[in-house]
Amino acid sequence: MDQNPSRRGGRLINLENVSRWYGQVIGLNDVTCQIGPGLTALLGMNGAGKSTLMRLISGQLRPTTGSLTIFDMSPFGNPEVYRRLGYCPEIDNFYEHYSGRAFVNFLGRLDGLSKTESKTRTEEVLQMVGMADRADKRIAGYSKGMRQRIKLAQAMIHNPEIILLDEPLNGLDPVGRREFIDILAYLAEQGKTILVSSHILFEVEQMTRSILLLHRGRLMASGDLRVIRSLIDKHPHQVRIETDEPRRAAVLLSGLPNVVSMRFERTGTALQLEVREPDEFYDRLADIVLQDGLKVTGFTSPDNNLESVFKYLVGG
Amino acid sequence: MELAIFSQAIGEYLRPKRVLPWLVLGGICAVLAFYWRTLQPRTLPVEQYATVSSMLVFRIVALASAIFTTAIISQEVEQRTIVYLLTRPVPRWKLILIRYLASVIVVGVLGIIGALLTSLGAFRGMGGNPLLAKDLQALMMGAFAYGALFLFVSLIFNRAMLWCLIFAFGWETAVPNMPGSMNNLSILTYMQAIAEHPATQDQSKVVELAGALGTNVISADRAWGILIGLVVVMLALSAWWFTHFEYVPREDAE
Repeated sequence: MDQNPSRRGGRLINLENVSRWYGQVIGLNDVTCQIGPGLTALLGMNGAGKSTLMRLISGQLRPTTGSLTIFDMSPFGNPEVYRRLGYCPEIDNFYEHYSGRAFVNFLGRLDGLSKTESKTRTEEVLQMVGMADRADKRIAGYSKGMRQRIKLAQAMIHNPEIILLDEPLNGLDPVGRREFIDILAYLAEQGKTILVSSHILFEVEQMTRSILLLHRGRLMASGDLRVIRSLIDKHPHQVRIETDEPRRAAVLLSGLPNVVSMRFERTGTALQLEVREPDEFYDRLADIVLQDGLKVTGFTSPDNNLESVFKYLVGG
Repeated sequence: MELAIFSQAIGEYLRPKRVLPWLVLGGICAVLAFYWRTLQPRTLPVEQYATVSSMLVFRIVALASAIFTTAIISQEVEQRTIVYLLTRPVPRWKLILIRYLASVIVVGVLGIIGALLTSLGAFRGMGGNPLLAKDLQALMMGAFAYGALFLFVSLIFNRAMLWCLIFAFGWETAVPNMPGSMNNLSILTYMQAIAEHPATQDQSKVVELAGALGTNVISADRAWGILIGLVVVMLALSAWWFTHFEYVPREDAE
């Protein structure tokens, strides 16, 4: 029998009842999950335990209790694991006096690549992250986006099977985000196991459907993002519509089956609604705007964020 | 891989802004040795050399060790670049020992440059210094010994550089001159035993500061043995400690 989990198509990362304490503070609480090939997002607000989980998987920390294995091995300080794992940390620290090219090349050499291999791979990954023509400048002079790209490049230099990316989209402009997401999608298509952490729901939705949802150190949900979305959609969403004709808007919107309640704001220029199945509501709102000529000057949904998701999931 | 770690560490330690102050200190040793005759007209060049060497050059090794050794790991932790080193397929013991070796070579070479410049100042040229060969051995051994001790200290204590500097300046100044066998607890004592500096007749405060009063009763062989033993034990402890403990920057771990 083939014992290699990656060739078996099995789960490469296994956590069983993993907890991690920092003195009296718990960073991760009794997490059990498996992560296999493809792109998985680790979603949670700041302080949810995402970085702790990343550091446990990348073998920088040991679990206080429970068991964590990668390729059926403990990752802590394990060179066998690091040969097959790339890690892009959240921190924005580098050897600032190095050029991006020298930095990536040096880490390639530490990954066990020969001088020639490391040089070749450095060019390949710099090309992939769009830094090939800018990598000779000192890192100290790089923008946040360039630094993120260099971090991704160093994580990919040894062509690992697992790539961990801790908040990789922070500081990237929209074009950069799109390019980054495309790279991750490409790597996932190649059969890599990619775990990306983020605290932005919208960002994650663009990347993958497979998620792990962390809240206050606990794994609150895992699986398909659509399932979680549908759970969310069953709860009334707050929607605020700004318009010069709030009464006319109320008449037009009251006929929609998704609208649960509505309230006029005292300013007389906005309407607050509670709606179910918000995506369907947004489609119908667009029809009303187009067909009935309702002028909408502003539109916000304060519920379309992670905090609301957690509120729904814990029934708060 | 090993060569890459070594070259990177050497490159870091040899950055001009790091090395320049030590070369300036070496120059000061040379000037001081040159003018020592004006301060102490009756002393011989060999005594001038021995005094300046004990007072300054041996201290340079201790001080440089404190600064360069803490750069091996604790500086990487402080500047949070340690993560790039620890998530690579390099055994941790190998990583720390290679970086230690690089720092020892740099510190040893700085000490040797200091000794050569001092000899140049005292003897008005490179020839005729009977102490130089043994001094260079003592300085190199000192670099290994201080480096190994400070490496271990830097792994287990926060603000390691402060502790190392206190040891280099406070402990190593006071303990060699203490009565009884207290001087056995000083690395400087063993370095001086290896160097076999002659007992000086000069009883000035400066000589006291150099830790060169009286006769060193420790034999060179014993000094070699003790310092080599210290290096082996400290490196084994450091390698074990670094392999088994977590090195995540403090603010990240909270």
